[in-house]
Amino acid sequence: MEKKKLRGYSLIIAALGALVVAGIIVSFTLGRFPISPGQLMSALGEKVFGMAKSDALTDQMRAILFNVRLPRIFLACMVGCCLSAAGASYQGVFQNPMAAPDILGASSGAAAGAALAILLELGSKMVMVFAFGASLITIALVMFVSNAARGNKVLRIILAGIMVSSLCNAATSFIKLVADPNNILPEITYWMMGSLAKTKTADVLFALVPMAIGIVPLMLLRWRINLLTLSDSEARTMGVNVTFVRVAVIICATLITAASVSVSGLIGWVGLVVPHLARRLVGNNYRHLLPASMLGGALFLLIVDNVSRNLLVTEIPIGILTSVIGAPFFIWLITRKKDAI
Amino acid sequence: MSVVVENLSFSYGKRRVLDGVSFEAREGEMLCVLGPNGVGKSTLFNCILGLAPAESGEIRVDGEAVGNIGVRELARRIAFVPQSHAPTFNYSVFDMVLMGTTAHVGGISAPGAEQMLLAENALERVGISHLRERGYMQISGGERQLTLIARALAQQSGVIIMDEPTANLDYGNQLRVLMRVKELVREGMTVIQSTHNPDHAFLFADRVLALIDGRVAADGPPAEAVTESLIESLYGVRVKLTRGDDGAIHCHPILN
Repeated sequence: MEKKKLRGYSLIIAALGALVVAGIIVSFTLGRFPISPGQLMSALGEKVFGMAKSDALTDQMRAILFNVRLPRIFLACMVGCCLSAAGASYQGVFQNPMAAPDILGASSGAAAGAALAILLELGSKMVMVFAFGASLITIALVMFVSNAARGNKVLRIILAGIMVSSLCNAATSFIKLVADPNNILPEITYWMMGSLAKTKTADVLFALVPMAIGIVPLMLLRWRINLLTLSDSEARTMGVNVTFVRVAVIICATLITAASVSVSGLIGWVGLVVPHLARRLVGNNYRHLLPASMLGGALFLLIVDNVSRNLLVTEIPIGILTSVIGAPFFIWLITRKKDAI
Repeated sequence: MSVVVENLSFSYGKRRVLDGVSFEAREGEMLCVLGPNGVGKSTLFNCILGLAPAESGEIRVDGEAVGNIGVRELARRIAFVPQSHAPTFNYSVFDMVLMGTTAHVGGISAPGAEQMLLAENALERVGISHLRERGYMQISGGERQLTLIARALAQQSGVIIMDEPTANLDYGNQLRVLMRVKELVREGMTVIQSTHNPDHAFLFADRVLALIDGRVAADGPPAEAVTESLIESLYGVRVKLTRGDDGAIHCHPILN
């Protein structure tokens, strides 16, 4: 019976994986510039299998496929995957089903860093670096403050997160105040809405390393996250080094959040909604929950990004869309009769 | 596996909670700890479980000092059954029990087929195999307590420490849970549990340890250690102890 259930969960995860692959293929053909599935296949044949250049393709098509759509599709999947993994992990280690990737201020820190770099007109590469750096500094500050504070460990980390992100928001507001309202301010505002519109291959490569460094330990520690959702004394008496696992999970989840936010801007709701959807699909055991969240997040953000770039003539920032889709979806999720959160 | 506590003291700030506590729980014995709320029962357990460092004195499990045993090794020797609680997430009963096997798998690996079998067996031993697929939040308080006991069994330790395992349970569930625990003790498990009910001590304990103001007030077999005057000094109520037709001692409160 138990084996049957496990196989069922593995099937769901495999199905999600297949959907992500199918989603990626379909996404290549979507866009303002029409490229047919046949043309996509010949392009793949050229690029992957070294086949002769096909007459059906123009150089412009190749450029659009490999320099515009490819990085954007991959980044959508990576960011969706990481935000969902971070959300699910935070929910576990903070024993709080409402925890999201920005709970500790990683996003607020990144926003302040990005705003500063935009204000100083350092260029898009430095915006990314500043956002990533500021995000990590913010979390380091949160950990420092929470260590100095007294009382319940989980509570004081969350409180420190709220305070430090509030400081960051103040800094961002100040930067917006002094920014040139004609060109700098709109750019900051646009960055904060979250978008994958200007994705370049370099962005994908920038985010890839910290994401990989963060995801691997989370996958390895995922069984132990289950024990951290119980009380600390229970987890410890079952042989888990609670402090070590919790700090390791927080660092990894923060790393992938910072990497995501620095390349995509603020994309809300993904990290909250997708893990909850995954909980409905495969249960609360992180052994299945974490992979299901990651694949579900990749699929979700890929679909939303397709809507973002195809729905209207001008692109809709993806952060707006995830909120528009995420909030009602979450309400539906928590008001469904079948079992409680 | 035995637990030996020698001259244990512990303070929260300036308040001394445990003061020179010594006792021994022998292998295959059920030790009941009696004492009013706030007397330091939980602190005593935390010290034995390695959750709070002893201020002075020594605790030995299976002959080795608790302070010298690593987290994982200690978990293989002592399991903890908390009061039944509502966790943040609704795990299946099986997953809950499987978590108990964590101390037996290496640093980053998850329980495999062998551990799943251990969890199955533990569920069977406490008689709740039929609940395996149910959500922990959807079962009754008594069933939750049995799940936590099964989890402790899956941990394969020689000692189980239970913090008021029958608190919040109805009368029938209290007895059913304690009877299961008694069976485990007969099979060689060492159990240390706290209770507020003197009758439970008379019915199930091999030894009773009574704590007053952080000191040992009585230590011995229940029929010898637990007296009317002890209960009065523990709880501030007068009682009468009578021996029933079955030879068991019962505790009756005197109401006026």
